Order: sequence, then C-alpha cells, then structure tokens
Amino acid sequence: MSGIVAYGTYIPKYRLRLSEIAQMWGKDSLEIEAGLKISEKAVPGFDEDAVTMGIEAGKKAIGMAEIDPSRLQSVYFGSESHPYAVKPSSTTVAQYLSVGNNYFTADLEFACKAGSAGMQVTFGLLNSRSIKYGLVIGSDAAQSKPHDALEYTAASSACAYILGNSKNEIIASILEMSSFSSDTPDFWRRDGAKYPSHFGRFTGEPAYFTHIIQEGKDLLAKSKLKPSDFAFCVFHMPNGKFPRVVAKKLGFSYEQLAASLIVDKIGNPYSASSLMGLASVLDIAKPKQKIFFVSYGSGAGSDGFIFETTEELAKLQKKTIPVLKQIEDKIYISYPEYLRHTHAI
Amino acid sequence: MITSPVKLWRRQKSVSSLIGKRGKILLWTIIRVPAKSFVGEAPYPVVIVKVKNGENMIGQLVDWQKEDLRVGREVVCVLRRLSTEEKEAIIYYNIKFKPL
Amino acid sequence: MSKFRVILSEVECMNISILGASTTKFGELWSVSPRTLAKEAMTNALNASGLKASQIDALFVGNMLSGILGNQTNLGSLLVEELGIQIPAFRIEGACASGGLALHNAINSLKAHQYRVVLVLGIEKMTDHSQDEITNALMAAGSDEERMAGATFPGVYALMAQAYMQKYKAREEDLATVSVKNHYHGTFNPKAQFQFPVTIADVMKSSKIADPLKLLDCSPISDGAAAVVIANEENSKKVRKKVYIVASEVATDTLSLHDRKSLVSLSAVVEAASNAYKKAGIKPKDIDVAEIHDCFSISEAIAVEDLGFSEIGLGAKDIGRGKRTLFKGDIICNPSGGLKACGHPVGATGIKQIVEITEQLQGEAGKRQVEKAKIGLTHNVGGSGAVAAIHILRI
Repeated sequence: MSGIVAYGTYIPKYRLRLSEIAQMWGKDSLEIEAGLKISEKAVPGFDEDAVTMGIEAGKKAIGMAEIDPSRLQSVYFGSESHPYAVKPSSTTVAQYLSVGNNYFTADLEFACKAGSAGMQVTFGLLNSRSIKYGLVIGSDAAQSKPHDALEYTAASSACAYILGNSKNEIIASILEMSSFSSDTPDFWRRDGAKYPSHFGRFTGEPAYFTHIIQEGKDLLAKSKLKPSDFAFCVFHMPNGKFPRVVAKKLGFSYEQLAASLIVDKIGNPYSASSLMGLASVLDIAKPKQKIFFVSYGSGAGSDGFIFETTEELAKLQKKTIPVLKQIEDKIYISYPEYLRHTHAI
Repeated sequence: MITSPVKLWRRQKSVSSLIGKRGKILLWTIIRVPAKSFVGEAPYPVVIVKVKNGENMIGQLVDWQKEDLRVGREVVCVLRRLSTEEKEAIIYYNIKFKPL
Repeated sequence: MSKFRVILSEVECMNISILGASTTKFGELWSVSPRTLAKEAMTNALNASGLKASQIDALFVGNMLSGILGNQTNLGSLLVEELGIQIPAFRIEGACASGGLALHNAINSLKAHQYRVVLVLGIEKMTDHSQDEITNALMAAGSDEERMAGATFPGVYALMAQAYMQKYKAREEDLATVSVKNHYHGTFNPKAQFQFPVTIADVMKSSKIADPLKLLDCSPISDGAAAVVIANEENSKKVRKKVYIVASEVATDTLSLHDRKSLVSLSAVVEAASNAYKKAGIKPKDIDVAEIHDCFSISEAIAVEDLGFSEIGLGAKDIGRGKRTLFKGDIICNPSGGLKACGHPVGATGIKQIVEITEQLQGEAGKRQVEKAKIGLTHNVGGSGAVAAIHILRI
C-alpha cells in the first residue's frame, strides 16, 4: 500500500491582474475574466525559476514529513520550463535539499502533467518495494507570448509530494492509478523557442476534454466506483472554465470540485496545477474521504489517481499553511513590471 | 561576473545549509546604479543580516516592499537565481533574503 | 592592535627624505595614454629633485585596475620603459590604497638599504572604459559575497553611511558638508578635476547612487598620475625646504564590511594611525594638514574620527562647522579638494596625497596654502577598509 506522506506548495509573491493585461491590449477585461473565470495570476520574481520554486515546495514537504532528506530515494522533477535543455533540474533540487547521492532520478517533461507522471513513476518504485520514500515535484515559471491568449492564464508555482509505502505514515493512500495518452498536437514549444504555441480551439474538445473524460471513465470503470462515492474531484485547470465543465461531464458536482479550484486566484501554473488542486483538497479533507484526480498534459495525456485519506492526515494538516491562505500573501505588479519579471524586457 | 561551474559546485554544501535560516536586517541600502549583470533587476536592496545563532551576512533582499527596509525586520534565507547576460553560461544560484 | 607584531624600538626614528614630488592634472584625460601620464609625473618629479633617471635604483608602482580593465599586468616592467633605463620595478596593489602601499614598500626597501634612491609612481587610467565596466571592476576591491549580493562599491559605503547615520543621529545634510568643503578647496587647485563649488542643496538634489549616497557624495572616475623621489637621509643631497616622511604604517581588517567588529569605524585606520603617531612621537592634534581618503562623503566623516581629529560621532558635524576647512579650521583636511573634487584615479591617489602634503609643508601650495603647516598626514584606504596606509610628514 503506497500513498502520499506529505506535501508542500510554493506560490511566488507577485500577482498580475488580468485587467492590466486586457487594458494593455485594448480588450474587454470583464468579458475575459468572466470567460476564463480567473481574476489574477501568479508571477515569479525576476530571480525565480522552476528550480528555485521547486526547492521551496520541496523544503515544505520535507518539513511536514519531518523526514531526514537523505532518506528520500527518488527525485522526479516535472516541468516545461526546466532552466536547462540539457542538465537535470532534479539533481540541483536534490542537492540543495540535501538528499545525498543515492536516489533514482530524472527530469520529466509532459506539458502540464509532468508532475503527475512523476507520481506514477514513484508509485511504481514504491509498489515494487524498490524505495521507501520518493519526492515528486511539479514546478513551472510559465512563459507566454505577450498579446497571446495564453498570457491571461500562464502562471508560476511549485508543488511537491513525498510518497511512501509505510502504512502508518500515509495521509492519502492510492487506491487506483491509470493513464490515457495519444499523440495530439494541441500545444507545443520547439527547442530554443522562448514561448509556446497552441492551436486555439483544438486545445479544447479533441485535447483536454477527450483525454480527461476518457481517462476519467477508465478510472471509474477500473475502480468500479461512481462519482457519488467521492468527496472531492481534482482536474487540471488551464483556466477556471474547463475543470468546471469536465467535472459536470463526468458526473461530479460543483461542491465536489470547489476546494481544488486554485486557478481562480493564481491562474495556471502548468506542472503544478493539478498537484496544487490536490494539495488544496488535502488541506481541508477529513479522514476516509475519496479523492478523484485526473491531470492533463498537452501533446497529450491524462494521469488518473484515486486517493483515500487516512486518520494521519488530520495530524499533518496542523503542520501546513493551507494553499488558499498562502495564495493571499501577495503583491500586485503592473504590466511593465510583469514584462521585467518574466525577462521579456 | 562569476561564471565558473566549479565554483558553483564547490559552494553547494555551504549554500544548502543556509536555506531556511532566519535573521534580522542590521543595515540596508538600495542599489540604483548597478554592475552590468544586475542591470535587469535594479533598483534592488542590499542588506546586512544578522543570522540567528550565526554571523553577519550580506545579500540582496527580494519580494520586498518599502516597509520591509527597516532595521530589525525579520528575514529568511532563500535560494534564488543570479542573473547573467551570458546565454550559454552555467546558471548560478545563491542565497538571498526574503522578508518573513 | 595585533598582539603578535614586533614592536620596534621607540628610539628608532625614520627619516626618509622627499627629493621631488609631482602630480599630473586629474580628470577625464581622453587624449593622454597611461604611458604618457606616467612619463609626465615621473619626469616632473625627477626634475624637481634635480636627479637624472640613471640615479634612480628602483621603481615602485601603485595601480589597481590595469589588469582588470586593460588586460595589462607586469606594470613595473612596462612603466620603467618610460624612464628609459632598466632598473628593478614593482607593481603593488591594495585596491584604492595601492599608492600608499607602493610608498610603504619603497620606504621599506630604503630602510633595508637595498636601494638608495627610489621613484614611487601612482597611476590610474579609467576613462577608456564604460561606466558599467568600471562599476564591475571596482567591486574587485570587495569580497565574493559582496559581489554576489550585487553590492557595488558605493553600495558597501552606503551601508556604512546608514550605520553611521543611525548610530550618531547624523543626517544626509551632515555628510553633504564633506563634499561642499572639498569642492570649495578644489576651486583653489589648478590640477583638480572639479574646480567649482557645490552647495548642500546641490548634493541633496543629485541623483541617488545607493541610498543614502547620491552622485555628489561620491568621488568621480578619473585619470591621473603622481610621483615622488625618495631616499634615505644619508643618500640625499641638501635641498632647500626638505620634507621628511617620519612614519609609514599599514594595517589590515576583514575584506567584507559585514565581517567587521564595527560598521562605523575602520580599525585598519585606527591601528595604522596609532602606530604612525607613536613612531612620529606626535598626537593627532599636532597635525596641521591632512589628505583624507574621501572616496565617499561618509569616508571622511568616519576618517576624522578614526584619526583622532574629532570625537567619535562628531566627525560629520565638525566638518559641517568648518573645523576642517581651509582658512577657517585647525586640522585642515583635503586642501587639494580630496578625492571628491581633485579626482580619484585609484592607484594615483595615495601618492598625490603625499605630493599635496609635501607642497603644503614647503609653503608651495599657492592659493590653498595652509598657514604655517609643519606636520602633515596622509590617509589612504583600500576597499571598504580592508587595508589602510598612513604616512606622517614633517618639514
């Protein structure tokens, strides 16, 4: 039996209001915010990147677990904004978290589902008893082209999970996991290109919705459970609208989805998105509640998990500041400052 | 600026032991005429911090607002990226201070 | 003071004579090359001494930036070519104290009787390079930690200014009086880079460099050279109005400002000055005229306290009251205009200070003459106080 032992989240301090972006490009802010259901997004500091944010989140997870970092036996770091094209981010994160030298590791990229893919790899190692503890991080300092639609949603954050297979340490055990993938070119970034490209409405039905819905159906079938068996559901959040729509399509209610909707306040931090939605749920979940989780990564694929919380969760909730509270620690910046922070000028 | 990967590597242990350490601002200034590699982030504050149970350290203050620039302000050591003009050089990470 | 230094006998008195001294104009000397600068200073110092180049036994050069900015080291050999003879030549470096350290080493060679007559040159050519490059290069005077923190040279002194203002309840206007005084003195110095006065309001209005230091709190980028010919007394001929160096002391402190015991006092200065006063057999109040290393206005405020001219905490206030001003005060500081108005070609400053004091003691200082000057002091500092060279001169 494997599961989540601890988690940690890091959101950079800066926020850009969507109204500032809209004003810059002469668009109707209210219309955009209503459509996307986002009011502001998280922007990294000038000197932050996926690695520095990942380290912050990792440190919090280690603090919650009260574990000696050298006991972590795997480190998987998922991002689509790795600082290097060639040189692992995982080892930098592991080094500064004092993990030591004896760990399985690799960098992962799969658009927004790199983090959840890392979790599946780690559960594989845990279930085979190859390791006792593994660290998974999803972190992104997302870039978006000025004046592009993505500019309203592309955000930055990091989320870390320590996974283990020691029964009395698990706060949410994993009951089921599966994955659904295909080669669907909805969103991509060429090697050397600064900003990603996407194909507009093609990113919706054939991409996001097809993969999440199919994976969701497969997961329910595999587990022989119904949506009403779950207290919570978490989906990847490219904007505020899509997860609301897909939840409904899979038969979940808004009440089941609500706790995970961090996107409304910080936008889409790509590899950290669904992981942070899950963390937000874990912040308030009670013991013995089931959580339905399906991520999505462009290109494309969806990773599904079914978690069940344990009595242990209540103890660890005391050791963390809830994600929704962390989100409130913010400073607003202007559009020109945002360009500076993201190295556009 | 410092671009030797060997130096970065040599400093890893001491730098990682500082992440998360807390301290108080002893002195502050704002650099308005920066050195070349710091042009993108100027103006920025530089502070001397008395680290808890340790010595004094000097470093940049990040995620700051005007009210944070005062003697006695509590800060924490964080790892941040040092900027460089060079697109092909190794990326340097160093300790900076963030108001608590 | 170090417990482990060997204390020389009180009886031993040093008498190094200055046979010739000269400085070039300081400023943005676009059309003058480093070699030309050196040749001018050295030739004029030699002429003043009445000696020929062939009578010089060795050349000591003080310079900080030629390697970093011009990719040129081996300065001893390079500059000795400008003398036209092949003699032993050395470059000594200690950031902005390079000049004072070169002189100290030259004096030591005389005391050891290795050489009889030597030429000491301080030289810096800065304006061939951009502001960016220079800001970067000057950070070499500090520590790695300071550089990685993005603490520019003015930034480090700004932190000192913050500490001073906090501790002694001084205001920015009090620090500004240093620049006002030095610019006033500069108006009397035909070799100074700036020969116009500034007011406190001018200083306060000038753009911020590193809070609280503003443009007019900071010494400029300059080119310039200065040279002196020195010899042991027994090797020097009779010269009218001969000036002697009676103390030459050097001391060090930590490289980084944040590692120091005090953030409002330079212990290297206190130590070197204390030793110098002892060797010269004098007290601070005996000094008639001094050249102070005012790389920033705060530097002079702290210096006059460290040197014992003012009580602790009152340095800036005393300067504001005119106590160190020409024609007004007693221990006159920076009659040349200091680093602020005369200019600060880094490696040249320490020697220029010697030239200025020599002219003052000889009564040759023209419009900026300090009346009846008999004993003078030069205060040359490297980095934010990592090294200090103090010299005492008498006539």
